[in-house]
Amino acid sequence: MIKDITIGQYFPGNSVIHRLDPRVKILLVFAYIVAVFLCKNFYSLGLMILLLTVIILLSGISLKLIYKSIKPIFIIVLITSLLQLIYNKNGDVLFEYWKIRITTGGVFTAIFTTVRIAALVAASSMLTYTTSPTMLTDAIERLFSPLKVFKINVHSIAMMMTIALRFIPTLIDEVDKIMAAQKSRGADLESGNIVDRGKALVPIFIPLFINSFRRAYELAFAMECRCYQGGEGRTRLKVMKVHARDFVAIFIMALVIAGIIVLNHFFAAVI
Amino acid sequence: MEDKNLVQFQNVSFRYESAEGEEQNPFAVKNISFDIKQGDCIAVLGHNGSGKSTLAKLSNSILIPTEGKVLVDGMDTADESKSYDIRKTVGVVFQNPDNQIVASVVEEDVAFGPENLGLPREEIRKRVDDSLKAVGMYDYRFSEPHKLSGGQKQRVAIAGIIAMLPKCIFFDEPTAMLDPQGRKEVMKTIFKLNRELGITVVYITHFMEEAALARKVIVMDNAEILLTGTPKEVFSNAELLRDRGLDIPKISSLSRELKREGIDIDGNILDTAEFVDRISQLLGDK
Repeated sequence: MIKDITIGQYFPGNSVIHRLDPRVKILLVFAYIVAVFLCKNFYSLGLMILLLTVIILLSGISLKLIYKSIKPIFIIVLITSLLQLIYNKNGDVLFEYWKIRITTGGVFTAIFTTVRIAALVAASSMLTYTTSPTMLTDAIERLFSPLKVFKINVHSIAMMMTIALRFIPTLIDEVDKIMAAQKSRGADLESGNIVDRGKALVPIFIPLFINSFRRAYELAFAMECRCYQGGEGRTRLKVMKVHARDFVAIFIMALVIAGIIVLNHFFAAVI
Repeated sequence: MEDKNLVQFQNVSFRYESAEGEEQNPFAVKNISFDIKQGDCIAVLGHNGSGKSTLAKLSNSILIPTEGKVLVDGMDTADESKSYDIRKTVGVVFQNPDNQIVASVVEEDVAFGPENLGLPREEIRKRVDDSLKAVGMYDYRFSEPHKLSGGQKQRVAIAGIIAMLPKCIFFDEPTAMLDPQGRKEVMKTIFKLNRELGITVVYITHFMEEAALARKVIVMDNAEILLTGTPKEVFSNAELLRDRGLDIPKISSLSRELKREGIDIDGNILDTAEFVDRISQLLGDK
């Protein structure tokens, strides 16, 4: 179960999407999110889905992985669409029982929000799926470097993110090991109510924390041994350069946003 | 081989700082002196808690001796302004490869050291490729470290150190967490670095068989040096070693037994091939 976590996972590849400048990619994902929120009707939303589909196809990431990224937020989506279904009273009445009245407006907005949230999550997963964590944090460091003016140590934050991402799989393995160890001593992790299960996690998290501190010490030593002295004077193996393809990507995104504004203008709003 | 002292331990003692008001910690290493010459291949042998791991950290100014001096290429490790140059000269590879790898892609991790040195990009590229080839991990340069085996991870960690072109590398029990296959890979890599690249190598171990392969062995016991010498010299003190709870390699153990039984054989054989030769010689005589 725990191995299913796909957050921050990277699937190496050599597609156009993989090769886009990570800084551009981050900005484009932000633009995409904003654009999705700009959508007012199914036509503009459809345009965003079309764009996402093209991106996914270009990247060569399997649809199964996209589905896996959306799965964890299923409950949130379900709750929001249920609320929409119940509280939206616009349009024709489809079904009425006691105080519950379901209208076409409700159904439309429910579908609309579901698709919108799914698109948001899928788009942001595409960022981490196609960008190596080091490149990603590197890009964040560069994008946010103007914050140095406010005495924010951008390099340290980026380094922490790199290390955090690097240790996710290691810690997942460790949790599996600790769970197996505790189970073999008779720990019951799978039955009981929520409180019992919560309590059963304590003997898993305590060793995990203690081990993490030990790891942190050792990693700090290892980094010192490799002459790490913070961001100053560091050079990079990989230099980021904005290529023609990045400008093409930006141009396409700008076109799509323009398209959305036009579609919003000509068709009635659903939401 | 140059006969130059690369690292010198001069009457070094070290104790870990204890919390205020508490009793002082005992010395982790006590009055240790030895020299490491350029091109050396030294094994440090000892129990857990014998102070051998502290030696590695003392060697490149991660820890500063409480008493005495450690000199690296003539630089005092206590001099903080030199610590950068010292760490460029002496690299340390630790026991757990998982806790030494910084980046999520093999080649990016190997690049970490050279990046810290502020080298130009082309130079980093060259060093990363050369180091990965030297440890036989070039084909895995785009892999994610957590998908590699223990031995492979440790070789990546070694590549990360050699990319900084140190003159000397301390290995702190590099094989302790590995399976036999990984252990073999890593030891082979260590000897290759010593023989082919001329890097001075010091490895800390508690496997007698690994220690027997070095040119010189230092045995640590209870924070002090118990014995030093060539493997033959050291393992000829079988009684003393056994008395301290250390063993001698199985092959020497066997040759000693045979000698005691009155067979004409050197009681200190460390090499299986040598042992086989001698036995077949003896059998041929009859």
